[in-house]
Amino acid sequence: MNHREKTDYDVIIIGAGHNGLTAGAVLAKKGRKVLLLEQCSQVGGLAAREEFHSGYTAPGVLHDTSGVRHGLIQALDLRLHGLKVNPDPPSIYAPQRKGKGLLLHHDPERAAAEIGLFSTKDAEGYKEFRAFVNRVRPVVNGVLDNTPPQLFDSGGGVGWQTLRRAWSVRRLGKRDMAELLRIVPMCAADWLNEWFETDLLKALLAGPSVYGTFMGPRSPGSALNLLIWECRKGPLVVGGAGALVDALQRAAKAYGADIRTNAQVDAITTEGGRATGVSINGGELLESKFVIATCDPKQTLLDLLPSGAINETLEHRMGTFRARGTTAKVNVALDKRIQLAGRPGEPVEMVRTGESLDELEQAFDPVKYGRYHERPSLDIYIPAITDSACAPEGHSVLSVLVHFVPYHLKGRWNYRERESLGAAVVATLSAFAPGIEDSIESLEVLTAMELESRYGITEGQIFHGEHALDQLLIRPTPECARYGTPVEGLYMCGSGSHPGGGLTCAPGALGARAVLTNS
Amino acid sequence: MNRDSTLSRRTVLSAFRIMSKKYDAIVVGGGHNGLICAAYLAKAGKKVLVLEMRHVLGGAAVSEELYPGFTFSVFSYVVSLLRPHIIRELNLTRHGLEIIPLECSFLPLPDGDSLCRWADPELTRREIMRFSSRDADMYPEFGLALKKIAYFVKRIVDNPAPDPTSSNPIELLKMLRLAKSFRSVGDDLVYLHTKLLTMSAVDFLDMWFESDVLKAPMSVSGIIGTFLGVRSPGTAYVLLHHYMGEIDGAFRAWGFSKGGTGQVSLAAAAAAREHGAEIRTEAPVVQFLIRRGTCKGVVLDGGEEILAGHVFSSLDPQRTFVGLIENGQLDPDFVSRIKRYKLRGSSGKVNLALDRFPDFSCRPGDGPHVRGDIAIAPSIEYLERAYDEAKYGEFSQRPYLNVVIPSLVDPSLAPPGKHVMSIFVQYAPYYVNGGPSSWPEKREAFGDAVVDTLAEYCPGLKDAVLYRQVLTPWDMEQQIGLGEGNIFQGELSLEQLLFQRPTAGWARYRTPIKHLWLCGSGAHPGGGVMGAPGELAAKTFLGTLGG
Repeated sequence: MNHREKTDYDVIIIGAGHNGLTAGAVLAKKGRKVLLLEQCSQVGGLAAREEFHSGYTAPGVLHDTSGVRHGLIQALDLRLHGLKVNPDPPSIYAPQRKGKGLLLHHDPERAAAEIGLFSTKDAEGYKEFRAFVNRVRPVVNGVLDNTPPQLFDSGGGVGWQTLRRAWSVRRLGKRDMAELLRIVPMCAADWLNEWFETDLLKALLAGPSVYGTFMGPRSPGSALNLLIWECRKGPLVVGGAGALVDALQRAAKAYGADIRTNAQVDAITTEGGRATGVSINGGELLESKFVIATCDPKQTLLDLLPSGAINETLEHRMGTFRARGTTAKVNVALDKRIQLAGRPGEPVEMVRTGESLDELEQAFDPVKYGRYHERPSLDIYIPAITDSACAPEGHSVLSVLVHFVPYHLKGRWNYRERESLGAAVVATLSAFAPGIEDSIESLEVLTAMELESRYGITEGQIFHGEHALDQLLIRPTPECARYGTPVEGLYMCGSGSHPGGGLTCAPGALGARAVLTNS
Repeated sequence: MNRDSTLSRRTVLSAFRIMSKKYDAIVVGGGHNGLICAAYLAKAGKKVLVLEMRHVLGGAAVSEELYPGFTFSVFSYVVSLLRPHIIRELNLTRHGLEIIPLECSFLPLPDGDSLCRWADPELTRREIMRFSSRDADMYPEFGLALKKIAYFVKRIVDNPAPDPTSSNPIELLKMLRLAKSFRSVGDDLVYLHTKLLTMSAVDFLDMWFESDVLKAPMSVSGIIGTFLGVRSPGTAYVLLHHYMGEIDGAFRAWGFSKGGTGQVSLAAAAAAREHGAEIRTEAPVVQFLIRRGTCKGVVLDGGEEILAGHVFSSLDPQRTFVGLIENGQLDPDFVSRIKRYKLRGSSGKVNLALDRFPDFSCRPGDGPHVRGDIAIAPSIEYLERAYDEAKYGEFSQRPYLNVVIPSLVDPSLAPPGKHVMSIFVQYAPYYVNGGPSSWPEKREAFGDAVVDTLAEYCPGLKDAVLYRQVLTPWDMEQQIGLGEGNIFQGELSLEQLLFQRPTAGWARYRTPIKHLWLCGSGAHPGGGVMGAPGELAAKTFLGTLGG
């Protein structure tokens, strides 16, 4: 009946997003024969650029490239494949409706000078804050850059790796260690309130603690998201997420990986409890020794596997894995450069709105009731600075992640609702970029609904699963936390695996490593 | 002249008598933890003095006749967490403690429907069936899973917290042993533990149930005494904390203390006195006497100094270290850690004396359904909205209420046919807009919001009220010294539990001041009428801890 193609692939990777490409490149570089399958017509997934209006290209849905793991760039020789990074991490701007706003330079001294305009106490505090982050960074990154340790060894004792990891935390010294343990379950608001008094600064720093989650800055556990972001923040990729995808794709191909686009995986085939390959495009069967899924884990385990392949416990755990979409993407085409009232003429790459923790919390509140706030929280990337090709000369593009916009809108998403979301975003923008509404050439609104259908992510959850404490400590479930699954030969290493979502490429790299260890 | 010299000699003599009357231990604060601590110390043969600032014993576990003929459990109103071995070891039953189990958890709904969860599982099943048959089946499974977790957590609650930041090898071995025992409970429980410690009450309940009508009243145990909403991560743990209530070994059983919650304290006081402890009321301590880093005794309001070998403070950590210790006696880093310890009370209390029993319109009559606790928690959205209001500094206009009418099962509390009603209210943030001291102006409006909310379910309520007492968090701080009106002497959030309660390195009842100990709810394992901090502090001091 079905056309069964004998292939000699060692590994088939479902999804050629940044994690899939990474895994593919790592495995191909190690001599494995790799086939990457991508359902869209281009690779990149959430990191892929998109021409949303003739002549205007938006960077990926995920537009913050500051978290890409440096070790991986070296391991894959991505620089040889065209990747360029800005030596300095980006400066981030927090605009005010009335006032100059706060431009948080990467350089702590310059940042402190700006903060000093608001509060001299906070200027000092900020240096101490950065110093603390620098002290704990090796430990935090040690956790993020490695496969999660097996908590218990097979003999029922405490695993050796767990002890080693615990020891690395202890090496911090009693004070920092105690502090680290204290912060992890805290909410970002409490933690930031301990450090600072300036509302604008606190709101600016709090952004990454809640982006892409079902949490506000007062939700416990958000401090960990903030700490993780601060620890892994590094230089931006020149040309943004799209350039990262280009480099990864070139590397994967150079190492010998095959990539097929427009290849929709319908199912993962199994035989005797072992993954044998995949079936695509309504009937074509492809075989391989290993299957790596980089789509979200709910889809992998609940939709793509034949029923009965996983036990009830895992099914229940995966079913209750929280992946509620709360992010929308708005791409704006402008017929000129964006004019920030507070910083005329200054080059600004990243902007976060919200002038206080309360404003950020208020932006979150309605999502609990299936609504969004009329002044949503925006995380804006302006690619014009490093990517002049994104728009015609003199024109520009804004890539806006709109937080908290629910997938399950009370009522229903339709054309009218999308229009009013777009209007809310423009109104929020115009508060600090007056007149922007007159220079908009085109506006594309992608709600979590569109992200789901376009990119095939459950509920359009941009991290494949919320970043909450429990789902970061054990991601996604105990039996799949080390990339393998109970189905022999099937691995998962998308954003739903440790260390989670965002453009880090770490899950892909670690998942590939797990396959290499076991083959 | 002669008269003067006699006087002064007498003063000197009396002062000498006081100074020389040295106690082995002074316990500051006559709440249930202080008294339990004192009882254990006295039982071990120590010479103990308890000092209580008020005219009555009990602290937040106190019964008072606020209105002639009506006895109120003014603050704490149910006994759920009191450790059963404490009842046994201190013979509290012989000293007058009697616990009447609650028969039912009753949830009236605005649409005239209602849900009762009974002690009898079959009855409960039938009630839940009306909303979801799937949930009815899951309900006992959920109870079983939590019971398993609770048995494990019990070991943590009944022992001093192991400290992962310690460099003592014995401590590390203890951690390893704990980790191993964790392993022995099985993978599934490890997973559930992680979830429970970090998830929100609603998310946790979502793993089992589908019906809002069931989840809403179940989720509220996660927020009691905490300034968080039912959707805030971390609240699932508090859910367990309340699930651990056990009376005579039966899990998940809440009860009334006969004669009011104050009986718990009075029984502990009687046990302490029987073993020779002295108890003084109206003796507010204003300062700890500290000489060269060692606590030598206390100073009372009025200047009287009392010396003792050791001093046990059952007050909250901020009052202990910031309020009663002179500047400069403590390491500034320690002080700043104590200052950022989160108290921020979030609940209030309304006590009513009622002329007659007010019917609930959805289930009239004073049958068994109202002899337990009654929750006004009609939906998760209702609860979350109550929190949202409070986050920005207002009390909830439509708050979560937990109502009990103890006079229905304990007629000694009110004249025949009349009743006392206790209403626990959340949220009433200590840091209300306008500042905590603006609470007196808002107190009655807050009381009105509470009574109005309840009257929607209980139309005859307002006409039945003979007397009303409204307690805001500010009032709790003023009246019984609970810092910021936090009923648990500090939020039960993960970073303030276990080895971090009240702060890392000092969770073993000892303090940086030699011979000064903590024995209140601000110490491990935390608040509620549990008695464990008092017991564990005493046993740590006496060196009689098992294991």
